[in-house]
Amino acid sequence: MSASRVTADTAFRVAERLEKVEGPWDVYAERSRSHELHFGGRGIEFVRGPIVLEGYGIRLLLPREGKTAIGFQASTDASAKGVEAVLRDAEGVSKYSEFPAKDVTLPSGVNGTPPGPEIVDRSVWENAPAALTEYCATLFAAFEGKKDVAISFGSVKAHRTEVTIANSAGLASSYANTAIEAEIAVKSSGGPEGTAPGEYWVNLSGRRLEPQDLPRQAEEWGRYASDARRAKSPPSGDLTVVLPPSILEPILPAALGFKLSGRGQLRELSPAVGSVVGPSDLTLVDDGTIDWATGSSPVDDEGTPQRRRNLIQGGKVSELLYDALYGSALSHPSSGSGLRHGFDFAAHRFARVPGPFTTTLSIPPGQGGSDQELIEAAGDGIWAQQIGWPSPDGLTTAFGGEIRIGYRIRNGKLAEPIRGGTIGGLVLAPAGTPSLLSNIVATGSHPVLSGGVLVPSLLIRPLTVAGDERAAAMGGA
Amino acid sequence: MVSLHDHEGELDRILKRVGRHTSFAEVMAEGSHGETVTIDTKSHRATTSPRLAGAVIRAWAGTRWVEAAASDFDRASLDAAVEGLEQELKNAGSIGPPPGISATTVGNADEVPRRPMRDMGLEREMEYARDLFGWTIAVPGIKNAQVGVVWWDDERLYLNTAGARCHHTSCRVRAGLVGIAVENGLSEYDYTASGGIGGQEFLEEMNETSARAIAQSAIELLHAKAPPTGSMSVLLDEGTTGTFAHESFGHGTEADQFVRDRSYLKPLLGQMLGPESLTIADDGSIPRAWGSVPFDDEGHPAEKTMLIDHGRFVGALHDRDSAAALHATATGNTRRSDFLSRPYVRMTNIYVEPQDWSFEELVKEAGDGVVLEHWTSGMEDPLGGQMQLKVRRGRRIEHGQLTDVVSSMALSGSVLAFLRDIRGIGKSEGPTRIETGFCGKGHGDYLPTGDGGPYLLSRAVVGPA
Repeated sequence: MSASRVTADTAFRVAERLEKVEGPWDVYAERSRSHELHFGGRGIEFVRGPIVLEGYGIRLLLPREGKTAIGFQASTDASAKGVEAVLRDAEGVSKYSEFPAKDVTLPSGVNGTPPGPEIVDRSVWENAPAALTEYCATLFAAFEGKKDVAISFGSVKAHRTEVTIANSAGLASSYANTAIEAEIAVKSSGGPEGTAPGEYWVNLSGRRLEPQDLPRQAEEWGRYASDARRAKSPPSGDLTVVLPPSILEPILPAALGFKLSGRGQLRELSPAVGSVVGPSDLTLVDDGTIDWATGSSPVDDEGTPQRRRNLIQGGKVSELLYDALYGSALSHPSSGSGLRHGFDFAAHRFARVPGPFTTTLSIPPGQGGSDQELIEAAGDGIWAQQIGWPSPDGLTTAFGGEIRIGYRIRNGKLAEPIRGGTIGGLVLAPAGTPSLLSNIVATGSHPVLSGGVLVPSLLIRPLTVAGDERAAAMGGA
Repeated sequence: MVSLHDHEGELDRILKRVGRHTSFAEVMAEGSHGETVTIDTKSHRATTSPRLAGAVIRAWAGTRWVEAAASDFDRASLDAAVEGLEQELKNAGSIGPPPGISATTVGNADEVPRRPMRDMGLEREMEYARDLFGWTIAVPGIKNAQVGVVWWDDERLYLNTAGARCHHTSCRVRAGLVGIAVENGLSEYDYTASGGIGGQEFLEEMNETSARAIAQSAIELLHAKAPPTGSMSVLLDEGTTGTFAHESFGHGTEADQFVRDRSYLKPLLGQMLGPESLTIADDGSIPRAWGSVPFDDEGHPAEKTMLIDHGRFVGALHDRDSAAALHATATGNTRRSDFLSRPYVRMTNIYVEPQDWSFEELVKEAGDGVVLEHWTSGMEDPLGGQMQLKVRRGRRIEHGQLTDVVSSMALSGSVLAFLRDIRGIGKSEGPTRIETGFCGKGHGDYLPTGDGGPYLLSRAVVGPA
């Protein structure tokens, strides 16, 4: 939303002090104001904000003997003295850095606020505390009167950030964004004496508050929490599994981001472009232009305009992700994937060195139909709704974790809830080795935007599930 | 590095300003600085960690806490941060005392290592990393290796309106090594790491022998069998035992979860949960351990808290709020990730105390099952009491003997059943080794936490991961 005018000029002010520095350099800066509400079962417990953070990172890309010496430092001190100290640090560490890129080309020509996707929630931008208060009131109302289901704790955080980027090629770009993080623990208790309580633990991230969805979501979350109380251990074996977007979100970007980028290619750990990694109808796109997606922005963190990147087409690897540095090393232009990633997507980006990472991984609608139709197609198997933490591994693409809530599929219908046991495997593997992607037998027709993915549910046959036969025999997980 | 003493005047001023509107206020200021070197087959890089500094101001508003933070110590930034707070406090009307006891600790704890990392310099850090890299990559079959050395000085100053004034500095050092083997498009790796609070001495724990061992392990994993699946005897190695203590058990003892009725452990306080040989403690006062803190972020000194004593669940970890709600005392476990993050009840160093079983005796007792080695992650389930641990590799146990190497695994099951099924706890030749981990509260607020223990034999569900 271009209406949110950027008033920050941190990167531009710092850039003025770098004019005499030789060699490519860039400055990325953020000014953010965050507000948070933390709540328990009895209402708001902790009000935080404003949490004010203004900082910048200077990166030097100095040509040296056919390679590039990288210097980087970040700081919250943008005074003349502060910038001098940061530059001194960056120059100091560049003496000990070497990267196999000959001539790094930084983007130029994008000045001012470039056009881009919708990433500013106006209500958050104008009055974040009021927007958060309204969201929480709607959340609490959605659970009011519910029998045996309640919120036990949670938090909602809203970040308003102004980004400025400048570089030695003359780029001076800026844009605004909002980011939302929510964590909500829904607990089910009461009922039969001795039945342990159940929980569904929700983690949401996005660009806007969506209180209108809460009544429907509260119904779903409450049902999962209640079902967790009567869930039994899953069976063991190589099973047919349906994975909805809520499961794919924590798996796909982390498992694929290294292998399908210049980071993996440079180290000869990526599949070759053209190699088969999935069924012939599999398409996987990295798309930084989707409205309201956490990975979307008008330009990447180096200032290159965002776009769509077809990573897998027709089941074959078709393109990889590059930033300016890896692109230079691998003789490929930047794909607009220069991002400053970390544990949390919303803050501190200025303190991180950019590298090629995914924005939003997207799988277009397939022919599998609705979730109901995928379940019917599964016949017998399981629906995995939530894994504790799938721990995706970028080097091997392995993932795996404990099923926190799921359902048996029997005769093409959802049956009893399951919980416990593990589910896992590889996400991407060479042809001939089973993987999540190669074992897709049906792709749903209704993609859902969930954090860093825009994907439909997938029917996988098979995935390895390990259950507890002993617990199953006793009637509980 | 910024010296917080230089800003004490401003911090005192802002504390007094907020203190006029409330019964209690506190300030936590932080500055950090350090260096990182990384090396692999294609590049090497040195970076200095960001020059970040700032302060967070928290105040009691009668029914809840309010706080604001600024990433600068100048008067204008701090004043701007607290303006909103003052309005909240004025709106709150008459404000009674906050829950719990306000710390009055006055102390200074500056850890001065014998051989500070600061004195080593980037050139020697890079030399060290190159040596480890070279020893690993020299092993035939290793395609790549990654070595990282990171250290950072963290300085914190805590002040409150009850008179507490705690200042401490510490340097955390960590070296990590990954060996990567590749064959037919498939990659496998193994890793090792060492670290703690101190200086260069932690780097000496990794050498040519450990580098070669990791390389050999990565190559073995390329040809490892898939792990067994289902419920079986599991023998956790030292690091995995520590991860179990932290992720599976420890999070349920954080008493803020008790207050929310969100811990399966709450109704079990005082009961026997495991064999008499089982003792688990959290201790933030262990010298040089990765998760140690001289004072927590409410101004309480770190201490040892017994959680399970000879099988009986005897204690929980408290901040001032949970201690007040549950008629307990604060245990020095209130921690903030940084000045931008809120305080929570957190672990420091949690560990299982060693007993007297040899490794061979544990393998024999297991009969059939699997050894889980080289933990990579864990996930808590404080309400449901389920567990999830993930390891890089393992060994089958068949008929009381170690047999095949198996690839990465996840372990799951009920924590209470796991504790009940403990059949043996290993011995230790020396003090318990505290591993270097990072822990989130939920899905954020990561901070350094340590854990450790001996080999531990129990039963759980295992599957590939």
